[in-house]
Amino acid sequence: MNTEQDVTSTEDTDDRIEVVLFKSDTCAFCPRAEEVVRETINEFGTDIFKLNIINVSENPEAAEEYGIFALPTVMISGQSITGIPEPEMLMKMILGAKVCQKKKSESK
Amino acid sequence: MSDYEIDRVKTGIPGLDELIEGGFPRGDTILIAGKAGTGKSILATQFIYKGATEYDEPGVFVTLEEPPHLIKRNMLQFGMDIDAVIKEGKMSLVDLSPSKEVTPVTIGEYPSFDLSGLQAIILNHIKKVNAKRVVIDTISIMAYKFRSRDILREEFFKLAAAITRTGCTLILTSEIPTQGQSLGVFDIEAFLASGVIVLYNEKISDTSRSRSIEVLKLRGSKHSSRIHSMRITDEGIRVWPGEISPGH
Repeated sequence: MNTEQDVTSTEDTDDRIEVVLFKSDTCAFCPRAEEVVRETINEFGTDIFKLNIINVSENPEAAEEYGIFALPTVMISGQSITGIPEPEMLMKMILGAKVCQKKKSESK
Repeated sequence: MSDYEIDRVKTGIPGLDELIEGGFPRGDTILIAGKAGTGKSILATQFIYKGATEYDEPGVFVTLEEPPHLIKRNMLQFGMDIDAVIKEGKMSLVDLSPSKEVTPVTIGEYPSFDLSGLQAIILNHIKKVNAKRVVIDTISIMAYKFRSRDILREEFFKLAAAITRTGCTLILTSEIPTQGQSLGVFDIEAFLASGVIVLYNEKISDTSRSRSIEVLKLRGSKHSSRIHSMRITDEGIRVWPGEISPGH
């Protein structure tokens, strides 16, 4: 997949939370959405996240794969939010993802 | 009157071209509206299939509602083998239906988005198959997917313009709500298109219904103002231009 990835990892045991931001070259709201996502991640601590930024203008196949019509869209752990997200909502999604991750690791 | 003739796209629906001076004006946006079960999706799929197989015009079919395997199965009963046309590179079937497993669950929406994702997906397929025809079936589903209808209304205009700018003729299908007089849930469907075709399946007695078709508007064309009989036959949709629907 043609993406910008801030933190890369080749380890299979990567337990960081993946945050995916879908944006495009023509989307007027996307730059602000990217700022909000980066600021929120920085507040939590970048080492627990893997940020994938997918530019749909360059990689429309990725948007098709996930059925993403509207931009910006942020996807975290199978849930998505469309439009410029409020930091509180992103926090909730992140916390939800962390809970899911914890449950998964406990059941292993 | 000038003797300039508009370039027209044959619809692939037997009998329909006779009602509209030979076909849809090339590069226009046409709305096919009708209540559930009137044959909108069959007509739209036939437009793409016949375009690819009979008129050397590849097409892109974007499904927002029905899963591809059901579209293929349903069209096979009319002898239209979608898979074969896709294999030949003359058609793209773009699955944006809710049945996709990897689509994330939307938990929130803020009124600050556009449809540039959908636009990029469609333009990519137009380029891939060198499409001349595009169908989006059905735009009504967007009303259930997104809450911000004002944004959607504006975005539909931009999307239709971006697609027709490539030279493609675009068909949008729209489900007519059971209540009210509008042609779709957004109330602007008629303005989106330069042509509007309405399909009916009216009850004419306690035991039967009658299918019919009406060309409500088609800019640049002297079209029939009658409501004509239409049937779903073993070979797909067929219109009887000389037959006026008994249901009207």
